Amino acid sequence: MKARHLSIIARKEFRGLFNERTILLAVLLQLFIALFSSFLMVGLTSMYDPSSLSKYSRYKYNIAYAGNDSALLGYLESSPDINSPRDFRVYRMDLSTAVAALKERKLSAVVYVPDTSPAADEPVKITLYTLTNDLQSAIVDVKLKDVFLKYEKDLRQVRGSRLSEQPVPVRIPKTTGGGDFYEFVYGLLIPLLVFMPAIIASALVIDLITEEYQHETLETLISTPITFSEMVWGKVLACELLVPIQAGAWLLLLMVNGIAIENAGLILLQVVVSSLILILLGALTALHYRERTAAQFIFSTALVVVILFVLALPSNPLNLLTRLAVGTAGPEQWIVLGATGVIVIVLGYLTQKYAERVGKSHHTG
Amino acid sequence: MGRLTDIWTITRWEVKKSFNMMSREVLPFAIVLFILLVAVTGFAAQTGMHLQDGMYRVGVDDPEVASLIASDARFTVYQEDQFTLFDNRNSFDLIIVHGLLYPGQTDRAKAAQKTLERDYAKYVNSVYNQEADLFAAYPLWIDVQTVKSELSFLSTQAGQYVQAAPSRAAPVPQGEISAIPTPSSSLDFTKEELRQELIKTGSKNTQISRYTEVLASDSTMGSFKTPSQLSPPLPFDSIILVFVFIFPLYFTSQFFMMSIMNERIERKGEVLLSTPVASSSIILGKMIPYFAGMVAICIALTLYVRAPLIIILPLIPVIIFFLANALLIGMLSRSFKELSFISIFFSTVATSYLFFPSIFANVHVISLISPLTLIVLSIQGNPWTITDYLYSTSLFWLTGAVLFYIGMKNFKEERLFSEKPLLPRIREFLSEIISRKHPFISVFLLTGFSIPFVFMVQLMSLTLFFNLPMPYSLVLLLIFAALVEECAKGVGIYVLYAQDPAFFTWKNMLAACAATAIGFLVAEKLLLFITLAQITESVFGSILFLSLGVLWMPLLLHFAGVLIVACSLKFWGRKGLVIGLVLATAVHCLYNLYFILGWIG
Repeated sequence: MKARHLSIIARKEFRGLFNERTILLAVLLQLFIALFSSFLMVGLTSMYDPSSLSKYSRYKYNIAYAGNDSALLGYLESSPDINSPRDFRVYRMDLSTAVAALKERKLSAVVYVPDTSPAADEPVKITLYTLTNDLQSAIVDVKLKDVFLKYEKDLRQVRGSRLSEQPVPVRIPKTTGGGDFYEFVYGLLIPLLVFMPAIIASALVIDLITEEYQHETLETLISTPITFSEMVWGKVLACELLVPIQAGAWLLLLMVNGIAIENAGLILLQVVVSSLILILLGALTALHYRERTAAQFIFSTALVVVILFVLALPSNPLNLLTRLAVGTAGPEQWIVLGATGVIVIVLGYLTQKYAERVGKSHHTG
Repeated sequence: MGRLTDIWTITRWEVKKSFNMMSREVLPFAIVLFILLVAVTGFAAQTGMHLQDGMYRVGVDDPEVASLIASDARFTVYQEDQFTLFDNRNSFDLIIVHGLLYPGQTDRAKAAQKTLERDYAKYVNSVYNQEADLFAAYPLWIDVQTVKSELSFLSTQAGQYVQAAPSRAAPVPQGEISAIPTPSSSLDFTKEELRQELIKTGSKNTQISRYTEVLASDSTMGSFKTPSQLSPPLPFDSIILVFVFIFPLYFTSQFFMMSIMNERIERKGEVLLSTPVASSSIILGKMIPYFAGMVAICIALTLYVRAPLIIILPLIPVIIFFLANALLIGMLSRSFKELSFISIFFSTVATSYLFFPSIFANVHVISLISPLTLIVLSIQGNPWTITDYLYSTSLFWLTGAVLFYIGMKNFKEERLFSEKPLLPRIREFLSEIISRKHPFISVFLLTGFSIPFVFMVQLMSLTLFFNLPMPYSLVLLLIFAALVEECAKGVGIYVLYAQDPAFFTWKNMLAACAATAIGFLVAEKLLLFITLAQITESVFGSILFLSLGVLWMPLLLHFAGVLIVACSLKFWGRKGLVIGLVLATAVHCLYNLYFILGWIG
């Protein structure tokens, strides 16, 4: 195998990408996803942790209190802690009127409390009326939950003598805000975004190889001094080179967005090595089927299987990306890298053998 | 009759062809992969996902607490004595000494604390739900009743807060008061039923179950919750719907795309074109198997998640839109890699268009621009009207139809087998639908039919720029909206010019510009009328229609914009297009700034 031949093929593929301006589309796509995911971040973060929403509002909510007196009324009327203002303006109302007002959005919630005594055998059942599925009621619910939890603690104390076991106590001070986006950004967004170029590259290698078959340009290519396996490896090389470029661009975009990423170099190294597994799998599928529809179908199904399997393994490469980005990866990263490397070598050997066999049959046949 | 037979024949061919290919090579492998998939899913369900393992470091002095925290793989736990812990405080995110947590100051530490808080609550739950006297451990139960109410479109238009102004007195409802029966003070379930449920929800990963519950509610407790189970209503249910319904559709439309592409490779489709079958029949015939397949997949999914079957209705225009795009992408791209990139790009854009408005289902009328919202509503058991259906699907029907029309007109030899770059090909495709005999009417219609696309792009940009800080987002939105409109108007003129520069006499040019401007204006107002029919009785609607008297202003603007583009084409040839568009956009922006925002003067 000659390095010059590989670079000829790789350069040919790059020229193709630039001529067709497909590369432009890839850049556009990246920008689009970047913009969109920052929009998504607001949505997804609130999905992960809706309590982060309550920070955004310093509004006092009107709620109605119906039914019997209880300690809950006092909690609703007082502020959550000394420094912050009260969350609610509470009105004593008749239940039917209150629910009608809620429907007209003149209230944010209605609480009904029965006359169960705190020390009774049966539980206290409070009925809470809120608005269906909207942003504002999400915030109100978060605030109400805190109040209910306080009241629950009270009641538990009253009934404490009836409990047989107490949990191991850990006192957790009140969180000071921040850290909401963290797990989503580092534990999901970064590994997925950084790994996406590997998936794109592996789909691309299928396109490049099947194209030679289906456009019947293969014979011309093999009649040059370039061998069949050199052609395959040249295409693999071209796709592989795209990975660090795109993944690096992601990291840069994230950093520009103010997301600090540690070990960017090591992250790229991991991505480059593990992406080779996908690209070689793609190449093998393409060599086997020689037809795009079938190859892409089988490959994308296989991709789901492989990624699901990898994610189910502890300290998998994707997890390593997360740990590298937050800076808690230890020396085990080199073991993972080594294991990935071994798989790459095995797949590389298979690809080489398969390509040689296909190449021979082309020359004889 | 003959046409139907043609279509049917092509359909049978298509099915046979793809089935042949599939059964010989692909099917065995696909079955193996499917079995593997099931096995791997089982394996993953057993071991869990290990994406976030070891993100945080915690130092603990008590072995009991250590084993408690170590059960969450996100934490790496170090057990040391308290002095070592305090000495190395900075190498941990959190330390717990004598049952008291000392948080760190970094973002990672804050995130770790939040995670630990949730874990601890889960642990406490696991202890309490074993109590013999369950109601001593869980003395408080909340019965959550939700009440439906829609945000009034007008009040947000006017930028008002929805809630009543702060007042001392209790709010008085304006409408009818229906009597609400006094809730009973007892729970409808026995103690043991509640315990089972508490154990079940405690063992579940709430972060995943919250999404799956949207589709299959398996809680037997109904609306009863303990305070800590009181997760707020989730306005973001729809993301899961995107994955469940849209991805299979995207996947299947890929096959159609490839089938079209395959006809073009090495002129294989020549045989098909040489038959006396009309091109529209060929396209329909080829499309029907995929359409049927996609509908079948949707029905199967709907039945699987036990949703009402009516959600197929809003999905059909989406399917048509996907297929129309697949047809054009398959006809336009020159190589497989171009096909891949264009289709990835298209699917990302389309998915986000479908996704983002449905986040606001129930909150705002604007969410109805996405058909997914109707699906969310149906699954929640809320009815929607025919008007809602028209409103949310009309853009998909219209764009789908336009794209199909373009595809059919161009489904012939010289287009399918040409090897020109993407942009000239698109221009050729468009010029095909401009009639030589009636160029002005064609330009009028072409511009008119570009409106649905313009609306889609503008709605898209609204969300994208939503991220940026306030003055920039508004300015960018203005510029971008103007640019999109000018591009849409410029397309017709450019195609006309590229087709035959000699046609561009001053008289013809002016006439074409006028046709474009009128076409744009008419279609814009018409679509606004259809889609905003819901609120035509409102102030918004009356402004729209009273303003007919001052319609000459926007007409003049559209005319000026397209004239600038046409003139620069005439003076500088094809290179003038970019200059013309920039100039026209600038004029358009100035107009908007002046009239809409009143910034100048």
